[in-house]
Amino acid sequence: MTIKPHHLLASVIGLFFTAVVSAEPFDPLEVRPTLVEPQLSLPTNLVTVPVISPGEYFVPPMVDDIPDDKTGDIIRWGRNIFVNTQKYAPRYAGNGLNCVSCHLSEGRQPYAAPLWAAYPLYPVSRNKANKVVTFQQRIQSCFKYSLDGIAPTVDAPEMDALVTYSKWLSHGAPVGVSLPGRNFADIKKTHDPDKLNGELVYKARCVVCHGENGEGKKNRNGVGYMFPPLWGTDSFNRGAGLNKVKTAAQFIKANMPLGSGYTLTDDESLDIAAYMWIHFRPDDPRVSFFKNRTEMKPGGGGAR
Amino acid sequence: MTEKDTWLDSRARRLIFAFLLVVAAGAAYLHSHKPDNYRVEVNMVAASKGKALATGGRDTIAACASCHGANGEGNFELGYPRLAGLHPKYIAKQLHDFARDPLDVGVKVDPISRDYEKTPGIYKDLTIYSPGIRFDPIMNAIAQQLTDDEIENVSNYYGSLAFVANPEPVDFQSLERGQELALRGKPEYLMPRCEACHGPDGEGFGEHFPPLAGQPPQYLISQINKWQNGQRDNDHLAMMKNTANLLTDGDKINIARYYSNRSFSINEK
Repeated sequence: MTIKPHHLLASVIGLFFTAVVSAEPFDPLEVRPTLVEPQLSLPTNLVTVPVISPGEYFVPPMVDDIPDDKTGDIIRWGRNIFVNTQKYAPRYAGNGLNCVSCHLSEGRQPYAAPLWAAYPLYPVSRNKANKVVTFQQRIQSCFKYSLDGIAPTVDAPEMDALVTYSKWLSHGAPVGVSLPGRNFADIKKTHDPDKLNGELVYKARCVVCHGENGEGKKNRNGVGYMFPPLWGTDSFNRGAGLNKVKTAAQFIKANMPLGSGYTLTDDESLDIAAYMWIHFRPDDPRVSFFKNRTEMKPGGGGAR
Repeated sequence: MTEKDTWLDSRARRLIFAFLLVVAAGAAYLHSHKPDNYRVEVNMVAASKGKALATGGRDTIAACASCHGANGEGNFELGYPRLAGLHPKYIAKQLHDFARDPLDVGVKVDPISRDYEKTPGIYKDLTIYSPGIRFDPIMNAIAQQLTDDEIENVSNYYGSLAFVANPEPVDFQSLERGQELALRGKPEYLMPRCEACHGPDGEGFGEHFPPLAGQPPQYLISQINKWQNGQRDNDHLAMMKNTANLLTDGDKINIARYYSNRSFSINEK
């Protein structure tokens, strides 16, 4: 048997590859791939879900890394207000929602208006106010519309706590840069939302958590909501950002059903948002009682 | 009649007394009929019927109590799950899924045909569904022998049982990381927190979201493994499937240890 040069080359390459494979470090427990394999039961939806690569989104610091000093105390208080607004800032909250009802995962979730993407951008010009607003004024707007309550003054202690918490969450984020994951996901509106289809999709997919009449579900101890109400007196009012059909659809597309984000199409998200919009919710506090009764509702849902 | 009590004659006094009586009766009714949120709502008749099967078994079916414990508390050493205090509809759904033929996967045609010009995408109105599949070498054989009535009875029996968890000591690092997953999830991977659905402190919520607290850690880990390799596929809108697919092996261990450390009680007075 003669040894030909390409045999030699092949064996050298083979040796090289075995060396590379054996030299690969042992996977630590934390990064070992999970047991996901091709499955007998096919996925329930044939849609593409974006794959998240590590480092794509900004990672805020962990709660256990809150410093053990006076600043840390204020950060913890701000987190408490953010997570349980009903208990820690009851005089400012007018409905049954908490900050985390929309800013998911304690204000960390990308495309659910994360605090770490918002804080470094302020002060910024805002269409809603027609002027430059500070972060404190933005929080006031949240309390006034989304929480349908009374805005805390810019020097209120609760305001200080929320701002300190936001600043701590965006520790290490670049200032003035629009980070990926900011605000809500992009959505393409190709036609007027269909409220009837929205009702069908709502009944099929949303009822389990948010209830047949969008009333949400209360906690086991009867205090506060486990799943927030989508309309009605305990939900956000007509002036809120999520009252806008497009904004609500953007939120729904990326985050709902929880854990199965991006499984609804753009059209389905818009349809559900329009179905939410046609229901009763508290009045827009910017205009009078009579204008709320007679004029067209804001939010782009069309004539009711 | 003196001058003093003319302003309030006996008739007015009687009226006021009757009014107070009505108010007191109303208050007493509201107090006695206050909903008890720390108790699972069960059909007590079905529960009493289900006790025989749960404790004694039938023909070739072993007693549930032999693995799941005399009071449905589960087996922490072998990883058999707790059943006491779970929602009866949840237990019944799991038993039906255990009994189902795993090849019963079909194609459902959407009743509303889609406009392909506006929604580009193939097969959008053909949804491939699984009606709820759960593999288990022991439970599949048992559940296939149970009748619908027996499933209903035994589910209500276990829903009516009381349970108090015995929190286990856990190392600090597992607790820290487990709490991070339980309260905040992994937002950078778009993974929601556990307690968004499984309730505060993992106590479970309603018929769709089972409790995590008070379950053996081995059981929680093996279930997430089954979600990941497709041996379990019986959730609503693939919420748990998508979430389980984002968990690493370390996450599974940490979250199971964290919930074995939580205190929890149900149906206790």
